[in-house]
Amino acid sequence: MASIQNTALKLSSLLKAAGISKFALSLTESEKRELNTEHVNFSLYRTLFDRSASVTAYLDGRKGSASGNDLTDEGLLQLVEDAKAGALSSGPDEANDIAPRQEPQVFEHGPLNPDMEGFYDRLAELIDTVSKEYPLIRLGQIIGSHTRTHRLYLNSNGTCFEKLDGRYDAMLEFAGNDGDRTTGLAYGSVTISGLKKPILEYGSLRRQLSETEKSLTTVPVGDKFEGTVIFTPDALGQFIWMLLDNYVSDGVIMNGTSRWLKCLGEQVVSPKLTLRMVTEDPRLAVTSSYTGDGYRAEDVTILDQGVLRSFLLNLYAAKKTGQAVTKNDGSRLIMEPGDTALSDMIRRVSRGLIVGGFSGGEPGVNGEFSGVAKNSFYVENGEVKGAVMETMISGNLTDVFSNVTAVSKELVSDGTFAFPWMAAEGVTVSGK
Amino acid sequence: MLKDIITPQKALFADGMQTVLRGHENRSRRVVLLKGNLVQNGRSSSRGISARVTKNGRYGFSSAASYTEEDAQAVLRAATENAAFLDARAQSAGRSYPALAGTKALPLRPIVDVEQKRFIDLCHTVDEYVVAHCPKLTSRTVVYTEDSQDKIIVSSDAASGHVSYPRCYLYVMMTAESKAGVPVELFKAFGGGGSFEDHFIDLEPLYRGVDELYGRLMDKAEGVWAEAGVKTVILGGMMGGMLAHEAVGHTVEADLVLGGSVAGPNLHKRVASDLVTLVDYAHTAFGETVPLPVYLDDEGTLAQDVTLIQNGILTGYMNNRETAQHFGMTPAGNARAWTYADEPLIRMRNTAILPGKDSLSDMIASIDDGYYLIDSSNGQADLTGEFMFGVSLGYEIKKGKLGRALLDTTVSGIAFEMLKTVDMVSDRVTWSSSGFCGKKQPMPVGMAGPEMRLKISIGGR
Repeated sequence: MASIQNTALKLSSLLKAAGISKFALSLTESEKRELNTEHVNFSLYRTLFDRSASVTAYLDGRKGSASGNDLTDEGLLQLVEDAKAGALSSGPDEANDIAPRQEPQVFEHGPLNPDMEGFYDRLAELIDTVSKEYPLIRLGQIIGSHTRTHRLYLNSNGTCFEKLDGRYDAMLEFAGNDGDRTTGLAYGSVTISGLKKPILEYGSLRRQLSETEKSLTTVPVGDKFEGTVIFTPDALGQFIWMLLDNYVSDGVIMNGTSRWLKCLGEQVVSPKLTLRMVTEDPRLAVTSSYTGDGYRAEDVTILDQGVLRSFLLNLYAAKKTGQAVTKNDGSRLIMEPGDTALSDMIRRVSRGLIVGGFSGGEPGVNGEFSGVAKNSFYVENGEVKGAVMETMISGNLTDVFSNVTAVSKELVSDGTFAFPWMAAEGVTVSGK
Repeated sequence: MLKDIITPQKALFADGMQTVLRGHENRSRRVVLLKGNLVQNGRSSSRGISARVTKNGRYGFSSAASYTEEDAQAVLRAATENAAFLDARAQSAGRSYPALAGTKALPLRPIVDVEQKRFIDLCHTVDEYVVAHCPKLTSRTVVYTEDSQDKIIVSSDAASGHVSYPRCYLYVMMTAESKAGVPVELFKAFGGGGSFEDHFIDLEPLYRGVDELYGRLMDKAEGVWAEAGVKTVILGGMMGGMLAHEAVGHTVEADLVLGGSVAGPNLHKRVASDLVTLVDYAHTAFGETVPLPVYLDDEGTLAQDVTLIQNGILTGYMNNRETAQHFGMTPAGNARAWTYADEPLIRMRNTAILPGKDSLSDMIASIDDGYYLIDSSNGQADLTGEFMFGVSLGYEIKKGKLGRALLDTTVSGIAFEMLKTVDMVSDRVTWSSSGFCGKKQPMPVGMAGPEMRLKISIGGR
């Protein structure tokens, strides 16, 4: 089989022979080994060999893309023809462009060769520990995988990046069950770069298991009230993604519906919040090396003590709106910790919830959200009273991130992000 | 369509193993016009082979991203090794599953390749119509999307066959400003199972749909917040279908029953009023082919309908071969995989609540103070049947007549409690099929429901 570099050269030649002098291409090869358990028994072992190619052709400002996994000579030719046909079918747009030339670079990160015997033992240990230490947890599925990926990006300006990386992932699906009562389904996942520690010692896994057991006993919230919500790192992650989608992403900036359209450099949320997209960080097991547009990735601060410093724009959106391109895809996010201990945050709540997850739709462009508080606990006079059921939270994204009363000292990383707990007041809580 | 290099490999299946070899191609096409700008214009395809080998109930699986006889043999070897890896470490004895009925002729829906230019032209044509006829919009997006699966499935001890699943849709999304200056949105999907020419030659029905969508968005721009609390509502057919899928369907997938879902202790018990019957249809419902027909699943099981709730009583689960044996039920073709690299999981197909005898007009007239909730932007539910649906389109009902439109709100509840309050069911169903269900892998699914009068908790603002 041809190497990824040879396939790139072949595609490059085919594109030039087809009269396409401006192009970008990306190639991926991966090997994934995945162990699956169902209800504490190992049930499935998968080995997946994958590869794919993607080509974007530019002809007089027109752009067409094609991707596929047939990397034979005929398959590559078909990709080039499809991309060219797509470009010829579209209209010219001067915002269609590729990244400028940058120095070629090869990146390598993480364990490239899996230890599947060792990983099997770590997963078996996890099942054993959960059954001994969390007797009210019913494990559904556990998926443990090692993935080795080799990627290559090349464009006609001479930029060429290659990345080899390896990672272990573990995902747990579980519920609390005491024979009579069951909780909702809970999920926990971590991405790790080695097998030195038990899997359960990473991320929020132990806390999630413990809280799910406690969720079997619920307390009524009663009426509707406006209170303080403490978002766990997992729930905060959900809300941060909604915030980015609604206010700084490509689509809302290009169509002009973002309420932060003219707010660069202005205070848009609480000064307690600093949110960064990083390329690498010791708290994370994965790195970001180059963007889908072919830019060498850089650290980007989105919110600096509440001030909006950057949108999240790809090259097309940047050119379309006259803004700067964001040299980071935003996949590695860190919210900086605050100065309040989690226990103190809880103690200061007169009435509210600790929200472990949000089951609701993406808010509309107005930022209004409303949904069910999952894996959540009722707090009154600084004490956690018990888990809640059929309880909704609603409010506005901007208000939530503006009305922050505390950010925790503690930071949790699942290997792909790192977030603290965040307390915000003025959230509407509706019990049944 | 795939050339059959899979069937001859059956001679290489190992003795004493239950094996399924699958050749599988996915294709997708996508064009996005954002305010008239072509922001996406792509097509992709992926083709490969997978093998699943079962030894004493333990599965080995392997896939390769290419489609040759050598690849078929390589994945068979790797899957066999993986099954042996697990079997050697197993703490308990496993067991094999009973053999199933063999192959029969299956309908093969053609996957028609259409040049990309026609998708772009369609999007521009519809976008121009929107610009000309919907003057008060602040933003608009038109999306053409198409996906298909083409599979050749060969099994050692069940059925084998060649099946295909094409579908295509055009989405129109509109944004306007409410009287308070806040953005309001609505979208609608046009299309269904089949290929481009099945749906997008005569555009008049689509234009009528765009006109209706715009009219409703203008209503919504003048809309009011729903009053929070438990209300009598008419849940529209689209929302009834979502309820059938999200809040009930997932709880009766047998793997999730084993995971502790609320359906476990409720089998053969009342979970809904006797007006509610829920069926997961394989390929034919109400005398017609359903939007996304399934004839053969990826374990080699010939597809049949599964009645999940009969007149309010929970009667069955959706199974794969393993869970069917566990529960003493019959596998009915619910084990499906999205790409060649995916193992089959228990998935819904075309899940519908059956129609009743009431007319929608009688149902509206019967409500003094409530809501008619027509469409949903999203929905989620969990193992307890606790659900939340975003309501993107709805109207007040006052003294038996429709009133003002609603701004975005949510409804929530516990499915098996809420369904017991159903006391009127309309005489028609509305199908939708454009979405993907997410459960480790995406999967196209159809869903349908009638209008139902019931009591539900509505979130207000």
